[in-house]
Amino acid sequence: MAVPASPELPTMLFVFIFIITCSTSVAQKDEFTEELLIKPLSRGYVYSHFQFTTKWNASIHDLRTFSHYNLFPKSLGEVLVRYGVQELHLSQTQGLWRHKLWGYPVHDAPPGAELWVWFKPSVKDIDGAWTDLVNAVSGLFCSSLNFLDSKSTIVPRWSFRPLGLASKSTSPFSRSVRYGALPKEIVCTENLTPWKKLLPCDSKAGLSTLFNAFHFHEANYHSLGLHVRPICADEACTQEAIELSQSLSVVTDVVSTSYTGSPNWQIRSLFGNHLVSACPIAAKSTIMVDITNNVDQSSFRLTPSPTITDTIKRGPHEHTYAVYDVRQFTQSNRVLNIEATFNQPPVLVELSPPPIHTHRFITGYGLEDGGISCLIHNTLSSNQSILYLDLLPWFTRVKFNTLEVVNNGKAVPYKVHYVPAKDRSRPHHLELSLTLWANSVTRVHFTFTRAYLKWTEYPPDANHGFYISSAVITALVPSTLEYTGPPQASSRLDSMFANQPLGASKPRFLVRIHTESLLVSLPTPDFSMPYNVICLTCTVVAIAFGSIHNLTTRRLVPYDPASKKGLLSKVKAFLQKIFKKSPTTAGQGDQPAQVNEGIQELTEDKSALGTDEKHSSQES
Amino acid sequence: MATPCINKFSRLTAVVFIFSISCFQGFVYSNSATNVDSVEDFFKSGHTNNWAVLVDTSRFWFNYRHVANVLSVYRSVKRLGIPDSQIILMVADDMACNPRNPRPATVFNNANQNINVYGDDVEVDYRGYEVTVENFIRVLTGRLPPSTPRSKRLLSDERSNILVYMTGHGGDGFLKFQDAEEVSSVELADAFEQMWQKQRYHELFFMIDTCQAESMFQKFYSPNLLAVASSRVGEDSLSHHVDPALGVYVIDRYTYYALEFLETVKPGSKKTMAQFFKVCPKHHCISTVSTRTDLFKRNVTDTLLTDFFGGVRNVELLTETVSLDKIDLPPNNDLTNSCSKDSCATNENTKFTFPDQIPKVLI
Repeated sequence: MAVPASPELPTMLFVFIFIITCSTSVAQKDEFTEELLIKPLSRGYVYSHFQFTTKWNASIHDLRTFSHYNLFPKSLGEVLVRYGVQELHLSQTQGLWRHKLWGYPVHDAPPGAELWVWFKPSVKDIDGAWTDLVNAVSGLFCSSLNFLDSKSTIVPRWSFRPLGLASKSTSPFSRSVRYGALPKEIVCTENLTPWKKLLPCDSKAGLSTLFNAFHFHEANYHSLGLHVRPICADEACTQEAIELSQSLSVVTDVVSTSYTGSPNWQIRSLFGNHLVSACPIAAKSTIMVDITNNVDQSSFRLTPSPTITDTIKRGPHEHTYAVYDVRQFTQSNRVLNIEATFNQPPVLVELSPPPIHTHRFITGYGLEDGGISCLIHNTLSSNQSILYLDLLPWFTRVKFNTLEVVNNGKAVPYKVHYVPAKDRSRPHHLELSLTLWANSVTRVHFTFTRAYLKWTEYPPDANHGFYISSAVITALVPSTLEYTGPPQASSRLDSMFANQPLGASKPRFLVRIHTESLLVSLPTPDFSMPYNVICLTCTVVAIAFGSIHNLTTRRLVPYDPASKKGLLSKVKAFLQKIFKKSPTTAGQGDQPAQVNEGIQELTEDKSALGTDEKHSSQES
Repeated sequence: MATPCINKFSRLTAVVFIFSISCFQGFVYSNSATNVDSVEDFFKSGHTNNWAVLVDTSRFWFNYRHVANVLSVYRSVKRLGIPDSQIILMVADDMACNPRNPRPATVFNNANQNINVYGDDVEVDYRGYEVTVENFIRVLTGRLPPSTPRSKRLLSDERSNILVYMTGHGGDGFLKFQDAEEVSSVELADAFEQMWQKQRYHELFFMIDTCQAESMFQKFYSPNLLAVASSRVGEDSLSHHVDPALGVYVIDRYTYYALEFLETVKPGSKKTMAQFFKVCPKHHCISTVSTRTDLFKRNVTDTLLTDFFGGVRNVELLTETVSLDKIDLPPNNDLTNSCSKDSCATNENTKFTFPDQIPKVLI
């Protein structure tokens, strides 16, 4: 009996081992890391980027994953599984990131709110899922994302490919992606509160204790990001994991906010508090200070000295970081307050402009037509191909025939994907694929006509103007000049130190930048006009028409006392006879009565006047 | 002919009902003479949960005081125990992060700047353009789209006491929303009636601080409504004081004195609504505070302030054990059937890849 069973034994064993490995991988704890990157920018600005990464070793496609939660927030997980989300990228930003001065941030974000989502291929009704998802997300983060309806949502064709793992069966032109932006969205403390509640330590311990709404909102730029995507669980990438990356970026103008105008900064001055603890749940808690431009301490000195100083080579450029292990410092010294003291006289760090940066603006004048120009600078010494995506509201009617892409006076060939708007239901969607010549400025320009809105479509502050969301430029650049983004494999900042993938002799780095959002004014009516018109008309009717009509239709006829008396005057006469007993009152009473009776109005005219009045009241 | 019959009948049933209640109460008293006080307390309030709908209807920086009004009330009800999940806060404009605010992320209701009413823990449910008459009426009546998140819904029931606080610019019979539209007193009264018919409240306290505020509750006709307004018809509601650093008035008079009173209230307080109605005498408010109590069944001198401003969580203890069934996860087969080609890829021992960020066809 045992002999025939033996061929099946290895298979059984394999299945058994497979089950064990599966169960151990499920039982593996989620991994949470907290990191803070501080980078001194030009002109005394300091960029602080908080990066909280939760890696959940489970597949986002497996429904059983979402029946038990450990460190991953359940409120978010339920939303993801309910609407079949594969990837979700949300950013809420106040202020504009100035690429030319500040280089590239870790996660680029446009002013206002931006949301783009890849749905699982199994989701059938994607538009319906998107509508429900934006409602759920807006409830989760106290934002007005529910305004991302079909009027401000597009299906990007080339830009916004999945950042995480995607199956090979996903076509490159999949329809299961949605992109929407709200450039007017306000970001305030009520957005930070629910966002930080998703962190395993909330803001009770660890780097999140540095969150101080007053300092963030006084800063020049402040951005909250939340990114969920499937990534590799291991190096070999045989298993999937879910990565939740929460990031908070702040740019502080140290020089102008300090009382003495000194460029010195410390954690206390940036965030109002020093660090006393690391999040106990975090596998790693580090602070990195970018000292690429200050390796020889020519500009400033850091105290305390870092745990290690690490230099990495990414592409052609080297980056040096002073790395502090928060746990080690807070255990030995109780507090960690990194301080940068500048040499006297202070020499501020100057960054060179990054490879690609843009400037976008409105052209033209008046309230009828207008144009949008986007200048795209390429500072590389090689040609660079980019993707340009523009999303315009329906009421800026784009004239597609005016689209021109010009470099140095010469037209640049481009590939275009354009979906024209439909009034009140779909925005304009313009995507371009073009090549920027080396060391040049390329101008993308088109014109538009401003549409009239219906008077109920105007917002309460219509005279403020209407926002046009940022254009998005995506490129794979060979340079890492002022580049801070982590590699694609992980959102953790320390993954920059990981070995470069083998065989990548010419690595390329994903740059996605957002241009300025624009404000256009539309022809706006005077909303009190109907009221004014009614008032004016009524006044005219009452004063002018009434008196003129009265004058023109009233006839004065002499009273003939010999004419036949009516019933009323008979009664009057009778009453006067009775009251004649007192002579004084009778004498006074008779005179006015006769004057009154001197004018007799014609009854026909009276009725004519009455009907006219009825007419005029109906019109108004 | 039919109507009086029904009336007579209902009166009869009401009498029977009251009789039965009194019998029942007598039974309770006789049975537990020692716990009389606590039992009485338990039956008196008649509600099991508290909700608050706080609405600021004014946009623009010069209406800072209305935002400060509503946030102050928000802070008070939160302090007295209504959780954020049961407060619907509608703020029509962003004052805290307004570029004109010299102290970003703060809203103060006093020039002394003792209390930042915006705080670090504020959850605004409807903000900016979302504050419309339509949304307000929909929240009250519960007629919201199915995908509306819980935080934006008034999930009250027939045992809920609701506080509705409104502030903004109003006139005789209307309250302006966002300077663009207005809700009329008739619409509001009908919305409350609809709430009553749908058993969405047990008792409702309506509080309004606006000019001619009294006109907003004159049309109410639904039972168990209690209302207070900052001014009579024909009167203006005035602001309290200006903060020279902000350049705007920071709070309205009625709300200022109401808050002064609320600050003295602690969660277990025995202060009554009658005391609350007297918080702003005419020499303080300049306008005449007006109340409406005819629709309210209880006596306001016996009604606790915390019945509306505080949160209760009456816990009912069960004596018997409830056994819960263990929910088994669906077996693997069910999931494989439901998943698509893509989602079942994990079963194969394949290597996953990151897709190209720029489609190959374009390069």
